[in-house]
Amino acid sequence: MSRALQWIAVLVVAALALLPFVPGAVDAYYFSFLFFVFLYAIMAQSWNLVAGYGGQISLGSHAFFGLGAYTTAILWSGNYLWGSLYDAHPGMYYFDPVTMLFGGLVAAVAAVFIGLPLLSKLHGDYFALGTLGFGEIVKVLFVNGGDFTGGAFGIVAPASAFDTLRPHYWVALGLMVATALAIRALMRSRYGLALIAVRDDEMAASANGIDTLKVKVAAFAGSAFIAGVAGSLYTYYIFHVGPDSVFDLDWMLLPLMMTVVGGTGTLLGPILGALVMYAVFDLARIVVPDYHPVISGLTIILAMLFLPKGMMRLGVMQRRKSA
Amino acid sequence: MANRLLEISDLEVAYGDVGALWGVSLHVDPGTIVALVGANGAGKTTLLRTVSGLLRPKAGDIRVSGRSLVGKAPQEIARMGIAHVPEGRGLFRQMTVLENLELGAFQPRARPRTKQLLEKAYTLFPRLKERAQQKAGSLSGGEQQMLAIARATMSEPSLLILDEPSLGLSPLVVQQMFSLIQTLHGQGVTILLVEQNIHQALKVADYAFVLQTGSLAMQGTGAELIADPEIQKAYMGVLE
Amino acid sequence: MFNLPPPEILLQLSLNGALGGAMYGVAAVGLSLIFGTMRLIFLAQGAMIILAAYFVRALFYGLGIDPFLSLLIVVPVGLVVGWLIYQGLFRKAAAEEDRNVSLLIAVGLMFLVQNLMTVIWGGNTAGVVTSYTATGIELLGVRTSFTRSMGFLIALAGTGLVMLFLRKTIVGKAVRAASEDMDAATLMGISPHRVNAIAFAIGISLAGAAGVAVATTFPFNPFAGFIFSLKALVALALGGIGNVTGALAGGILLGLIEAYVQFFISGGWTNAIAYGVFLLVLMFKPEGLFSRPYKKA
Ligand SMILES: Nc1ncnc2c1ncn2[C@@H]1O[C@H](COP(=O)(O)OP(=O)(O)O)[C@@H](O)[C@H]1O
Ligand SMILES: [Mg+2]
Repeated sequence: MSRALQWIAVLVVAALALLPFVPGAVDAYYFSFLFFVFLYAIMAQSWNLVAGYGGQISLGSHAFFGLGAYTTAILWSGNYLWGSLYDAHPGMYYFDPVTMLFGGLVAAVAAVFIGLPLLSKLHGDYFALGTLGFGEIVKVLFVNGGDFTGGAFGIVAPASAFDTLRPHYWVALGLMVATALAIRALMRSRYGLALIAVRDDEMAASANGIDTLKVKVAAFAGSAFIAGVAGSLYTYYIFHVGPDSVFDLDWMLLPLMMTVVGGTGTLLGPILGALVMYAVFDLARIVVPDYHPVISGLTIILAMLFLPKGMMRLGVMQRRKSA
Repeated sequence: MANRLLEISDLEVAYGDVGALWGVSLHVDPGTIVALVGANGAGKTTLLRTVSGLLRPKAGDIRVSGRSLVGKAPQEIARMGIAHVPEGRGLFRQMTVLENLELGAFQPRARPRTKQLLEKAYTLFPRLKERAQQKAGSLSGGEQQMLAIARATMSEPSLLILDEPSLGLSPLVVQQMFSLIQTLHGQGVTILLVEQNIHQALKVADYAFVLQTGSLAMQGTGAELIADPEIQKAYMGVLE
Repeated sequence: MFNLPPPEILLQLSLNGALGGAMYGVAAVGLSLIFGTMRLIFLAQGAMIILAAYFVRALFYGLGIDPFLSLLIVVPVGLVVGWLIYQGLFRKAAAEEDRNVSLLIAVGLMFLVQNLMTVIWGGNTAGVVTSYTATGIELLGVRTSFTRSMGFLIALAGTGLVMLFLRKTIVGKAVRAASEDMDAATLMGISPHRVNAIAFAIGISLAGAAGVAVATTFPFNPFAGFIFSLKALVALALGGIGNVTGALAGGILLGLIEAYVQFFISGGWTNAIAYGVFLLVLMFKPEGLFSRPYKKA
């Protein structure tokens, strides 16, 4: 990123952070719109880490998102963390960093568990198929989880008063920025170089002494962690966490789409993609409510036909020539 | 130079940002065997893959009988009469020997005569007739290489490109391979041969080019290069 | 342990499972062909099947054409539509060899088709009820539904025709060759676009045939397709990716697994167990359950 771009980014983030102080902004339509853009941008970064930088196309993001969401809802509704402290401050689960961390960790641990066998055995499309199957299994497990997961209905978090979206907005913005900064730092580190090396040529990377399995599993787990935290954030917004809502495939498909439209393997691509695609979807929803998913489908196809490398254009997409 | 079958001029090829060939020029005259030799990683395979369209050149020109084939797709180049036996043979391992041979005559030029071509291939490679219904992947290494070459001849190419046909074969089979190459040459097939087995390659070649880390280092008739002390020292393990 | 139910019940279960699974099988054969040449997971296959089912329904209620007779329309239309879909949507992406792009176009197509169907026919469950919908027939001494049996026959016939094409014609052989090694295939003068388009044409016409089977057997809605795509993927993996008869067999096996799990465990676990088997097969027998072990040189 050039210096000018960095300054622009800082200014944009500052402006966004101050936005809730503008009178009327909180009640404006675009306020919740921005919240969702941030949420999707985080999910898009998550997918970009494993697929864009890591070259492993995962179709299981929704599983990790749902795991994070459920973890948060379970910890919260069962008050597993804070005991009597919670009775004194019933609001304390809101954006509780420990709970959110757990949301990410549970997802990351699941990713290591499933990633080790999948990534050591499966390559390319087989890995993609495997993650898709994993996502469906997790969903069924939660449907059949009995009282612990609330079955097909899910869990309703003990909603205490929440009369403004401001905290959600700030937390989402903060997480989006933190995710981007963390990935930026990561990709400049030795680990990031190793990840790129594995993506570009696994054999060569392995010949150069890189433990490719470890690198790939770490990226997969990192991606899952981010998705889990995003799921946790979503729980604070939605309260009712059910298998059909948080394990919805859209939590995988939309971020994937946003990343590719924005630019795979770029830092700003996922954010730009989330903004543009969510704007298109939302606009379609308002302007042509009956047809909006048709328009969404068309947009994806058109974007792929005419912007296959994403808006960032720097997209270092992986070109596979069969050997 | 209208009578040149293959004329490569100032060819540059890169993988991403990493260059592999820098301004290579070479040519193959009709009816000859031309050898392209060089150490591992010199860029021989890259050059062959660029000729057959599997890679795109960054700069330079490749002409077949005067017609440029830069920018053409591999299947179009194949239909122009270039048959490439790639490194690793490129057999359809799950398909039978017969099916592999039939696909060798897939292009419109050869397809109507598949039957005759098959008979011709079987006379040259009787082993393949015995194994016609076996899967290609189940053949021995030598048989697989024979099949790959036989398949390439099924299109009656004007230029046959062989990328390290002797790789991984036992010395006896290597001998058979080289005599086969000479038989094909005797039938009028023009051959561009890449080999690690430099001594053998130079012996059968009418003309040869030496590639060194992406550039042409030397050229001459096969006999000249065999006699060249530099070549002997660098590639044939002959001590001074 | 539980008591084994009487053999009639087991036979009934097996028959119904196998008949239903054949439908996953045809869908999987189409996916297998498309995956074979393009390495594309064509997630829109299920949506195309449902689209075909709606089309069959429209032909029946609009023009009075018998659903099974409409095969004669749906299959050729499928060939043309598949060809057009490839040329219009995937040709460019295939040339770029960027697989994310193709995958996303498939996803976009799935969204588009699903929602077009909703706009045109509404989101409610629809079905095709003919004079023979409730008819039962006797098969292997077990009563089963006539339409399911017809669906099974359609699946067998469809797969059989595709097999003949792939094994007996030179163009079919070219498709197989391209699936195995596209670079080597192009060196034979085979055009990737041609084999891709053929794979798509056949894949979509199979979706059409499956649509007939679905329309006559199940109630369906515009969003039923995705789960069908997933099931077809499972069938594909069970059968061995790129193995056409294996795909059909994989579908039948999946149908059996579902029927047994539903009976012996519970309907709620069928998907988890089906996908669990899917993962295990992907990991431990990626060449599929039905291929002979093949030594790699
Ligand atoms: N697919 C590829 N991607 C990147 N670099 C490659 C690729 N194939 C070959 N190279 C590089 O190009 C150079 C020439 O390789 P190659 O043409 O295979 O040499 P040769 O056939 O003479 O052994 C080598 O440095 C090799 O590492
Ligand atoms: Mg080589």
